[in-house]
Amino acid sequence: MMTRLRYYLGAGSLAMAVASLAQPALAAERTGAQILGETCVACHAKEGDEQFSRISHQRKTPEGWLMSIARMQVMHGVKISDDDRRTLVKYLADQQGLAPSETEGVRYAMERRLNTVEQFDDQFAQMCARCHSGARVALQRRPAKEWEHLVNFHLGQWPSLEYQAQSRDRDWLPIALGEMVPKLASQYALDNPAWADWQKAKPEAAALAGQWSFSGHLPARGDVRGVMSVESGEGDAFKVSLKGQYADGKPLEGSGSALLYNGYEWRANLKVDGVAMRQVFSALNGEMRGRMFETEHDERGLDFVAARAGTPRLLAVQPGYLKAGSEAELTLVGSELSGTPDFGPGVEVVKVLEQSPERLRVKVRAAANAAAGSRAVAVGALKGANFAVYRSVSEVKVVPAFSVARVGDNGGSTPKMQGRFDAEAWGQDAAGKAFRIGYLPARWSVEAFDERAAEDEDVKYAGRMQADGVFVPGDAGPNPARKMSTNNAGNLKVIAQLDDGGKPLKGEGQLIVTVQRWNNPPLP
Amino acid sequence: MKLHTISGLAAAIASLALGLPAHAAGESGPALKAGHEYMIATNYPNNLHVVDLASDKVYKTCVMPDAYGPGTTQIGPDRKTAYVLNNHYGDLYGIDLDSCQTVFHARLAQRPTEKAKALFSIALSPDGKEIYSVANPTELKLDHYVVKAPRLQVYATDAGLDAKPLRSFEVPRQISIMQAGDDGSLYMAGADIYKLDVQTGKYDVALASRNWQRPLYSPPDVLYAWNQQTYRRDFSLLYTAAKFKDGKQDPATADYVYGYFSIDLKTGKPTVQDFAPLTEIYFTGMRSPKDPNQMFGVLNRLAKYDIKEQKLLKAAKLDHSYYCIAFNKAGSKVYLGGTYNDLAVFDADSLEPLGKIELPGGDMAIATTQVFTR
Repeated sequence: MMTRLRYYLGAGSLAMAVASLAQPALAAERTGAQILGETCVACHAKEGDEQFSRISHQRKTPEGWLMSIARMQVMHGVKISDDDRRTLVKYLADQQGLAPSETEGVRYAMERRLNTVEQFDDQFAQMCARCHSGARVALQRRPAKEWEHLVNFHLGQWPSLEYQAQSRDRDWLPIALGEMVPKLASQYALDNPAWADWQKAKPEAAALAGQWSFSGHLPARGDVRGVMSVESGEGDAFKVSLKGQYADGKPLEGSGSALLYNGYEWRANLKVDGVAMRQVFSALNGEMRGRMFETEHDERGLDFVAARAGTPRLLAVQPGYLKAGSEAELTLVGSELSGTPDFGPGVEVVKVLEQSPERLRVKVRAAANAAAGSRAVAVGALKGANFAVYRSVSEVKVVPAFSVARVGDNGGSTPKMQGRFDAEAWGQDAAGKAFRIGYLPARWSVEAFDERAAEDEDVKYAGRMQADGVFVPGDAGPNPARKMSTNNAGNLKVIAQLDDGGKPLKGEGQLIVTVQRWNNPPLP
Repeated sequence: MKLHTISGLAAAIASLALGLPAHAAGESGPALKAGHEYMIATNYPNNLHVVDLASDKVYKTCVMPDAYGPGTTQIGPDRKTAYVLNNHYGDLYGIDLDSCQTVFHARLAQRPTEKAKALFSIALSPDGKEIYSVANPTELKLDHYVVKAPRLQVYATDAGLDAKPLRSFEVPRQISIMQAGDDGSLYMAGADIYKLDVQTGKYDVALASRNWQRPLYSPPDVLYAWNQQTYRRDFSLLYTAAKFKDGKQDPATADYVYGYFSIDLKTGKPTVQDFAPLTEIYFTGMRSPKDPNQMFGVLNRLAKYDIKEQKLLKAAKLDHSYYCIAFNKAGSKVYLGGTYNDLAVFDADSLEPLGKIELPGGDMAIATTQVFTR
């Protein structure tokens, strides 16, 4: 079965299926309800009015529904056109989705933040999140019977599961059925007042049309800001265009299309400066939040927040720090900005350089005795962005502190997955409390993480750290030059060094360079 | 399963480079010669090789039906028939090594709506008349799966190419490798090692593994996918465990040990024995046929231990990982197989390399090699 899965859903076709989440079904001939009643009913018994066995007893994200339908195609031979699949994903994600509050804390999986270190209890981590993300589970809602079916499916499909580490030490199936099923049914229940409330409160998609001021940060590249224009189409679809610039003044431009699921799950496909990118945002209360990333390299992406014209918001100060006793140009990004910003005591606005509802560019000066620490910035009555005044950097952290890059290319089907790093500076306020300053430029290098990595010459083989904090891993495949022809895997320390007024500072993170991710579904 | 994925990948790569086996289907090749010592090894795409251990050369290659995986073999007591768990862990085959003919075939699933896989479990009765395997069945309902209790399925080896179980018995989950004792009892490795009466299906614990009671020891970790038939006639598998300093059971201060479980198939005597500090992983280990106090282990190195002293005697570097270890009867040569498509031969005393035997075809992956005298 795995062979068939790989055959039918190779990296390319699955990526295409995911990309299609942002496309409406064209010239749809059947509605979602019709597809259920005509196609899915072949195996899923009709249970009264538009209810079908299994399907009607689950709720999940657009990605979750896409994975279920794709599995029906790959493992159970369902014949369904791409258009019908799009229609069905949209229908099910709308009718049986998750309330916004139900996705809180686990949106990273949809946003493809694959360096997230998950926090689940030990039993959940071992029983469920040993092979895939815990978020994949936490983004579903089912009653006990459906969780039970899921356990049976897992062991039936992957019989070696109960022989693996952290399974073979226990009676896996009795624990899965007897302990995990009740736990999941209570923690991730099908019935939840939040979902009932959301169905009543769900706004019309057309309300998203308009101009959105956005702020973002692209690791190893810097801050970005601009305006996203959203034009409403039929069936919760949108035309989207982006116009912005990086902090260094370079432009960022793109356009594409989007589809809104379940009143707030925004999925868009864009070409940005010639590169295919996806947006996975939550659109709520005049704000969009999430991540925009390259379709083919989802490790390359930016944190994104936007506010719609008419929704007053202060989203960010770029850059969000200033050294005491110095002067700098800052840009405040938001929506409906008016008036002079207030950076708090000891920080003076020298000059307003540019002012629009979306952007406020100012020259500011921090007094030599300005209090070090993080402070709220206000523009008129608007708050929401923080700003740091620092006297010296006390600590440098590598972000992400723990990450994974993957070998690739070299004639194989899978591209290299890079590591991308920022150096995050921290200071200390008068009370000795640590506060975040922000990302500062650093000199980047890698070293062997431990003795074994040194002995295996991981630094030599695993890849190359560029000056900009981007780590490019080595080629895929066995390497005859390495001991035992092993591949270009490695265990590395990522080192960021910076000088703060002549004081050298160093931060360290860990980077595992490993093999390709062969099975790469929309939810990791 | 991680092992399977890794080896499968290696297989895909290797088979691209190495192309098809040298011997086409239908060729029978020469019969085996009485008194000669041979090794059998299976590999992708679906070969069964016979290696002559006097010359350390491939003697013949049989092409097996259906699909490869895991290629776990057992040699019948007739030393003429090789039995193989294959076809994606779903079918048992008997291959006549003289003619390369398939003489036995059984599908583990018992209904079209059932899927059943055996995780390396394949064993023969001492008289060779019966073959055993534990099927892990799942019922495929129209819109859901139901995992069923594992069944020990007993077949007559002369039941032909569409064999049906003579008897079947419900057994515990997580059963892997198994072998029959001289008295006909079946020893099955699972949470513990069970001894089962193949007539009644009744079983009890022959050797406690997960449930062992060894003061200051953690429960052992055991994953042993290699169902090796040894000249010592022992059914054995490796474990690792933590040995705590005191009742606080602090993993940070514990010693970690390698050991082996063994059932003497002649007498049924069980053994639990530490043999080394845990310093590296061995996928397989085997005691020397000539010195039962010597344990050899292999994965990224070939290592030799004095069991009583729990001391490393010697270790040899390898040019790539090997999963499965074997000896010739004299105990003078060590054969490393599994992983890719070559067998590495080492001198058992000096651990000096003696050569390599390239097998036509792709990876052996997680297959078990067996050595026997015809």
